[in-house]
Amino acid sequence: MLARYLSAIACLGVVAACAHPRLGTGGAGVPTTGGGEAPKQAVNEACVLSTGAVTAHKATITIGLTEAVDPRDAPLPRNDAERLVFRHLYETPVRLDCQGHATPQLAEEWVRDDGGRRWTFRLREGAQFWDGAPVTAQDVVFGRGGPGYTLSALETRVVTVSLAKQSDDLPPALSDWGLAVTKAAPDSSWPIGTGAYWATSATTTAQEIRAHSARGDTLVFRMATSGDARDLLDAVDLLVTRDVALRDYAATLKDMSVVALPWDRTYVYVTAEAGGTRFDGLEQSVRAEARRADGGFWWLDLRACGSSGSSISPPAASGQHRIFYVRSDPTARELAGRLAALTHGVATPRSADDFNDAIMAGHDWGYVLALPRFTADQCRTAKELLPTWPATITALVDTRPTAIVRRGVARWATDLDGTLHLVP
Amino acid sequence: MSLRTRLLSAFGVVVLIPLLVFGLGIRREMAGRVTGEVQRRVDALVGVINADIARENDRIAPRLAALKSAILADNRLYSDVVHAQDRGYVLDYAGSAMHLAGLDFLQIQDGEGRVVSSGHFRNEFDRLGPQARGLTLVRANAAEGPFLALVTSDSVRVGSQTLRLIGGVAVDSAFLSRLARDPELGVALLLPDSSLADSNAFVVGERRLPYVDAVDGPGREEQARLVVTRSSAMMTALERNVNLWFAAAVLVAALVALLVAGWLSTRISQPVEAGMRDMERRIAIGDLARQVNHDVKNGLAPLRNVFRHLSQVARDKPADLAQVFTERQGTVESSINYLETLAANYAKLSPQPERKATDVNAVVRETVAGSSVVRTKLTDGLPLVSADALVLRRIIENLVSNAVDSLDGKSGTVTVTTERGSGVVRIAVADSGRGMSKAELDRAFNDFYTTKPGGTGLGLSIVRRLVLDSSGSLNVETEPGKGSTFVIELPAQ
Repeated sequence: MLARYLSAIACLGVVAACAHPRLGTGGAGVPTTGGGEAPKQAVNEACVLSTGAVTAHKATITIGLTEAVDPRDAPLPRNDAERLVFRHLYETPVRLDCQGHATPQLAEEWVRDDGGRRWTFRLREGAQFWDGAPVTAQDVVFGRGGPGYTLSALETRVVTVSLAKQSDDLPPALSDWGLAVTKAAPDSSWPIGTGAYWATSATTTAQEIRAHSARGDTLVFRMATSGDARDLLDAVDLLVTRDVALRDYAATLKDMSVVALPWDRTYVYVTAEAGGTRFDGLEQSVRAEARRADGGFWWLDLRACGSSGSSISPPAASGQHRIFYVRSDPTARELAGRLAALTHGVATPRSADDFNDAIMAGHDWGYVLALPRFTADQCRTAKELLPTWPATITALVDTRPTAIVRRGVARWATDLDGTLHLVP
Repeated sequence: MSLRTRLLSAFGVVVLIPLLVFGLGIRREMAGRVTGEVQRRVDALVGVINADIARENDRIAPRLAALKSAILADNRLYSDVVHAQDRGYVLDYAGSAMHLAGLDFLQIQDGEGRVVSSGHFRNEFDRLGPQARGLTLVRANAAEGPFLALVTSDSVRVGSQTLRLIGGVAVDSAFLSRLARDPELGVALLLPDSSLADSNAFVVGERRLPYVDAVDGPGREEQARLVVTRSSAMMTALERNVNLWFAAAVLVAALVALLVAGWLSTRISQPVEAGMRDMERRIAIGDLARQVNHDVKNGLAPLRNVFRHLSQVARDKPADLAQVFTERQGTVESSINYLETLAANYAKLSPQPERKATDVNAVVRETVAGSSVVRTKLTDGLPLVSADALVLRRIIENLVSNAVDSLDGKSGTVTVTTERGSGVVRIAVADSGRGMSKAELDRAFNDFYTTKPGGTGLGLSIVRRLVLDSSGSLNVETEPGKGSTFVIELPAQ
């Protein structure tokens, strides 16, 4: 076994020759106090939004947010706004670009071994936390892992991923938000990350989050405090929205480009009722850009997670046919309303936390739930979002967000899960 | 049962029964007036409800008319409806229109009654909506559950389609509160097969409304009722209060009546009872007099016969007079003995005085002891008098009693004074009462004369006789309004 590890390390020395064809490499970062700068990675131009040429580098880029961002959620985003912010603050070992290609993040090199049952990768040279502490393999593996894969620290900067099944491709789980490396910051509401930008409680107010980089540039995440996101468009360089009215308004602004992002969210109807129901025409029910839910859904087969075929009895729904949804999600509200109209139920709003408690308890008739179309770790996502009781999950509609981008300011690219990020 | 008690009972019955009847009558009249007043208020409230509902209809109808104009002027809506293009715009149309029109309920239905656009529930499209003819109460669905709305309808022709507009306002607790303008009356909505939720309330008025339950479909027209309610608890409390006050009033009136009746019965019964006692006393005396008369006559009759016989003999046969006298002497003596025996027997009816040396001051003290009205001025060292102490006490008691009575219950003084006289002991009983006139004084010592209610009229007559029996004298000094002084002199030993 040791010989295999040694050979793998030797392979890393000649990484260009030994790396997987989808190998991503990054340039050496320059550690700085307060944050470790991410490497300048090769960017898949296919994933870069077509918003015109960038003519001048802008030191401060302003991004509008239409949803709340809670640092306590970091590094696992719970909405589009958190996804956008966390993507720039926290790093996973790799990211999957919009075409599914692995790109280096904390891991700058990796090698496949043992017929694809083991993957070994080296952490980026100079990778460090915002406070200057170096990122070690132990920081990556501690407390992490999941069904089907095991993480172990081989050396200070070398991590191995052992898979239950062999894989020809880099395990997508390495790009999962759950593997983002953080550590607690006793004097800050934000966990300390390793991303190119850093934020602390001192740079965070109710109106905006200022994230700084070692290069001296700043991302300003500005909240739509007035409640009307159109007010933001005059002052921001990027706004991601699912509101088609806002999209249509932005399309009338000459400085803005409107770009549809990937279909990244599927709304499902979760109920204890057996059999499921097909609901037609739901895309008319929502004001977001929507289509009939399509494709193979990751939640259909969770056997590898050990949660399929749960022995827990389905909870009994009683009383009114209440259909729960998260109050802050307008698309969920509209879908719940339509389902209520079709099933003679009652659409019932809940806060995000209460909704999560309700769906886990399963005492009500049904739940309209937003699921990511893609997840790097199905088991973690299922554990977080789906009930443990045997539910019938009916896909309703797919939705996608729209990026409203100021022309000529910055380049933006999307990941496979639809997350938008600044191209370095 | 005494006369006073009988009178009191009679007064009670005579006063209390009318009082009770009067009170019941007042209570009944008051209840009738209260009921009438409440009914007038109920009628007024029903009128207000009718006016408010009519006003709501008058408010909704123009808004629907304005909406018709807006629909006809909206080319995009026309295009989307006629050519079935952007359904999203149609679906959103009613929501915006509803808010702009200030309505809570708005459905745009097609010719079949299917919802084309809904303002209160965007995603209920394609369902069959309610058919409202005129002002109708509709139970409709919203995403968050059913709600009630008061709606009316209108229609507009767009291309070849006729769209029906059904708009209205929500009927919720605030709506009902606005109708309930009388704080003591409530307004509730009773749907078919429902009853009042408040078991303490009862219906006193109502307004019927056409009602359609469109939660599970277009529904059919039934009748709902807007009812005016009153709290039975409030009425119970009011009734209890009225009864309480009524009972208190009757009780107080009864007490007052009983007091008045008691006073009146006393005022009436006292002189009557005194008169009756006087009459009984006079009857007893009359009986005694008749008996004495009879007995004396019985004793005198033989004497009269003997005397007539002797007179006849003396006239006709004077020579036989001595012989006849001798013959009849026994009869005379027998009659005399009878009369003496009779006198002795009558004498036994009154106690015989036992005269002996008596201390006047001691007798006076014993007589007036315990009286708070009578004062004494007794001279020490008085000689004893020869008199019966009981007789002397009776004399003083009579005089003191008369003196106290003469005060007529007013403040005044009665004073008993003793002093030594020339060979006599003088006892004076003086009062500051009403005194006597000359005419009254002249008759004061006559038997059966009295000025006191219930008096026998024998008191002073007896006093004078007892004083004379004791070898004493009695004098009176009196003046009307200033009082009287009776002075007795008894010979000292």
